[in-house]
Amino acid sequence: MARLLRFNWLGGTFAWVWLLVVMIPLYWIVITSFKTQANYFVTNPLAPPTDLTFENYKTVIDNDFVRYFLNSVVVTVGAVIPATVISFMAAYAIVRGAGSRLLKAVNGLFLLGLAIPLQAVIIPVYLIIIRLKMYDTLGAIILPSIAFAIPLSVLVLSNFIRDVPKELFESMRMDGASEWGTLWRLAFPLTRPALVTVVIYNGLGIWNGFLLPLVLTQSPDQRTIPLALASFQGQFGVNIPAIAASVVLTTVPIVLLYAIGRRQLLSGLTAGFGK
Amino acid sequence: MNRRNFLGLGVGAGAAAALAACGSSGPSGGSSSGGSSGGGGAASYWSLSGPPGEPVRQAAIDRFNKANPDSKITPTFFQNDAYKQKIKTSLGANQGPTMIWGWGGGGLKEYVDSNLVEDLTGWLGENAAVKDKILASSFGAATVNGKIYALPVETVQPIVLFYNKKVFEKVGVQPPQSWGEIMALVPKFNAAKIAPFSLGGQSRWTNMMWLEFLLDRTAGSEVFDRVFAGEKDAWSDPAVLDMLTKIQDLVKANGFQKGFSSTTADSNADQALLYTGKAAMMLHGSWSYGIQVSNGGNFVKDGGLGWMNFPAVEGGKGDPSNTVGNPGQYLSISSKATAEAKDVAKKFFSTTLVDDDEKAGWVKSGGVPVLKNSESLFTGGDAQFLKDMAGIANGAKVFAQSWDQALSPTAAETLLDNIAKLFQLQVSPQQWVDSMNGVIGK
Amino acid sequence: MTAAAQRVRGGNVAWMALPAFLMFLAFGVVPLLGVLALSFTTWNGIGEIVPSGTTSWRATLSDPGLPHALWVTFLIMALSWAVQTPMSILIGVFIAGRKRYREFLAVLFFIPLLLSSAAIAITYKSLLDPSFGLGSGLGIDALNQDWLGNATLAMATLIFIVSWQFIPFHSLIYQGAVRQIPTSMYEAAQIDGAGRWKQFWSITLPQLKYTIITSSTLMVVGSLTFFDLIYVLTAGGPGDATRALALLMYQQGFQANLMGPASAIAVILVLVGLVLSLVLRRLGGRADESQLEGA
Repeated sequence: MARLLRFNWLGGTFAWVWLLVVMIPLYWIVITSFKTQANYFVTNPLAPPTDLTFENYKTVIDNDFVRYFLNSVVVTVGAVIPATVISFMAAYAIVRGAGSRLLKAVNGLFLLGLAIPLQAVIIPVYLIIIRLKMYDTLGAIILPSIAFAIPLSVLVLSNFIRDVPKELFESMRMDGASEWGTLWRLAFPLTRPALVTVVIYNGLGIWNGFLLPLVLTQSPDQRTIPLALASFQGQFGVNIPAIAASVVLTTVPIVLLYAIGRRQLLSGLTAGFGK
Repeated sequence: MNRRNFLGLGVGAGAAAALAACGSSGPSGGSSSGGSSGGGGAASYWSLSGPPGEPVRQAAIDRFNKANPDSKITPTFFQNDAYKQKIKTSLGANQGPTMIWGWGGGGLKEYVDSNLVEDLTGWLGENAAVKDKILASSFGAATVNGKIYALPVETVQPIVLFYNKKVFEKVGVQPPQSWGEIMALVPKFNAAKIAPFSLGGQSRWTNMMWLEFLLDRTAGSEVFDRVFAGEKDAWSDPAVLDMLTKIQDLVKANGFQKGFSSTTADSNADQALLYTGKAAMMLHGSWSYGIQVSNGGNFVKDGGLGWMNFPAVEGGKGDPSNTVGNPGQYLSISSKATAEAKDVAKKFFSTTLVDDDEKAGWVKSGGVPVLKNSESLFTGGDAQFLKDMAGIANGAKVFAQSWDQALSPTAAETLLDNIAKLFQLQVSPQQWVDSMNGVIGK
Repeated sequence: MTAAAQRVRGGNVAWMALPAFLMFLAFGVVPLLGVLALSFTTWNGIGEIVPSGTTSWRATLSDPGLPHALWVTFLIMALSWAVQTPMSILIGVFIAGRKRYREFLAVLFFIPLLLSSAAIAITYKSLLDPSFGLGSGLGIDALNQDWLGNATLAMATLIFIVSWQFIPFHSLIYQGAVRQIPTSMYEAAQIDGAGRWKQFWSITLPQLKYTIITSSTLMVVGSLTFFDLIYVLTAGGPGDATRALALLMYQQGFQANLMGPASAIAVILVLVGLVLSLVLRRLGGRADESQLEGA
């Protein structure tokens, strides 16, 4: 294929130009975060800093960054793991019990759920959270996050489980394995790429989620990273280097994770969506 | 919509420390001690974070807690832009604080309508000494249907016209004394590549200050009074059309900095334009002074900042001494709080909030206290500013409350929305009048 | 009812779907019904919820802000789709092809997707600030436009930022899909003497049909949910130039304290989402619902 598409100048040009477009703001935000504020106003914005400073990072960390970071970790882990497990179970049930009208209806409900934007139900979710006396807790963010991760997760996972050859299920059954055992010993290992996709996709969405924390929490104690970013913007005002540092700091952990799990992520992603 | 604020958050070491302190001051305690629960002698207090206000608020609470070892007030400070929504959602969730900080007016009325705040009329009657210590003019915005639902606290904040003296010198012009002079200055500053006015237009209430003053100067305070009273078609006064046309003329003449409608006041970017000399003038609340001091380096110390009451409009009927702004800030007591918490709050109101340390603290922060007899405390570098602000506030025939604070949140939202469109030249003055008439009394 | 049939097929597995079902019921279906119910009430967010018939609906439907928000939403949807789709296909096809570059480009392309919308909005807001941003710093007037303060430019800027954020993602989807096209098809075409263009139009594009539908569905339904980005970037401004449906709902509900009308807008938002998904699925031409390709 490489050979066949050798002369794709159009795509090539676009790809490289777009790479530049993608990279310039990222480059700018990184170098700016190392500039002093005085320096920022007088130097070329695209030139690297002449007097490197870590002061901006110190400012951000002094502003309770670690707490916000931990909150985001709790919310993300606390939502992604249960969401993935119950979606996986549901997907398995939907594929294995394909004859059941009940499960068909459940699947239809999830598919319908794909089209419901979270924003549309935020007011009743807010009411429910109040009634559960969970307002202003991290749990208030976690529960709806789980629910809204389910539809897409079930869809991706069931597509994968469906690809597992029927004979394998048959032989598990012959060996006397229960459905629960088959789920973990057969389906789980075989759908690992899809699970990774689901975990990453949901994880990113929840880590970066803005609306739920905005509406369902109030105190700085419960603030997650994206909300903290928005409030840093207010606090730091035109101290653009400090704002830049806050953006970099909130992104670096994700980029690191990405660097570690990149190969699996990209193959999982293309497998999950590009089928 | 929101804040009449103190959100002059610089990022100096002091500010950072204050912020760190605010972050750790236990809001989880705050949320539990609000309505349902709350042990004896504990009360919670919510207000705005950041200098110049937060340290003074914190100091008052520390003073109280020290003097009353058996009771404890737990403060939580929020950033201004977040506060207005947060206080609402938490009250809705029945997790509000014992003491609710606010701007009085239409927002307070909504709390009253939902039975969320205590009627303080009787208590103030019994404690006349407390009431006597506070400027009488501050009580207007605390009064709903003839009853007082909040204690005026903190500072009187008129809106004034700030200007950068250095920029005026550089261009070789004088501060404007009339609307005509303002319009004449605009091309001169533009020619010098300096924005005539700085405006945080994305925040919308910043734009509104222009309407408030222009309408007052052209027609006096009666027009808005009729709107406030819910009179049908009250906006249809010809003076309103005249005022709106003037605003659009100023916008068309590039009176505001490029990109004003994407500049936010919450980030103090509008303030920065003034002290960096990128803009010559700025119409803003008196709290700007504190921000210019803390963020502007030596700008204020070197005498760079000038201020004046909004100038007269040629042929206008309004009294040029009138002003607009916040006659005070307001603390209400949640009706859902426990009896013990309410008692703690009342004790806080009658002792710490009206003591001399409180008065001195606000003066030191660069504000004119709502407490009487503070003039003698105006000393040092800020003395002139404080004297002038007290002069404007006390000399005003009419000290009008900001429109968005006076109206209900629903009407205020429509107002701000239409004002943003007006500045965007998206609606004509007549269209503006028509859509605003539609929400009168709502 | 079909329990017997299931047992025959290999044991009853329906219970495994229960946790997900209950969770989705509680925080998906119930709120959905709740928002419908709330749209027939009057509630200011702090007081009592009072049933009020069609008052909220009448207020919402007669508000000129609604058609405007629908138009803005449609504009964002259509423009961002029109910009992203061709570019994503072109880039996707390209990075599927060359081993050396592919790896490198794919790595960097993914980065914008890692950033939160809030971070992206803040970055661009700082970058594009006419007084303190890139344009004024470089002193290049062409760059120093009123990017977020002019109605037309603000919309264009928004579309650009959306594309910046998501083109890489969609390119990767296309990359994966292109790599699954059997090489034999191209070889056969080459034997028939088809040129590169012809191959692209007659093989690559038709083979990508379902991927295009998947990607478009994600784009279109996703564009209904651009809330954080707009909220932080322009707050719907200048004026109401970028006030999309989700933002209108938030402002009505949480700023103007009109939870009833805000719920009515939310119901409209749901309907728009459902209709779009159904239409796109029809376009896909697949009767078998369980096979909605990929996502």
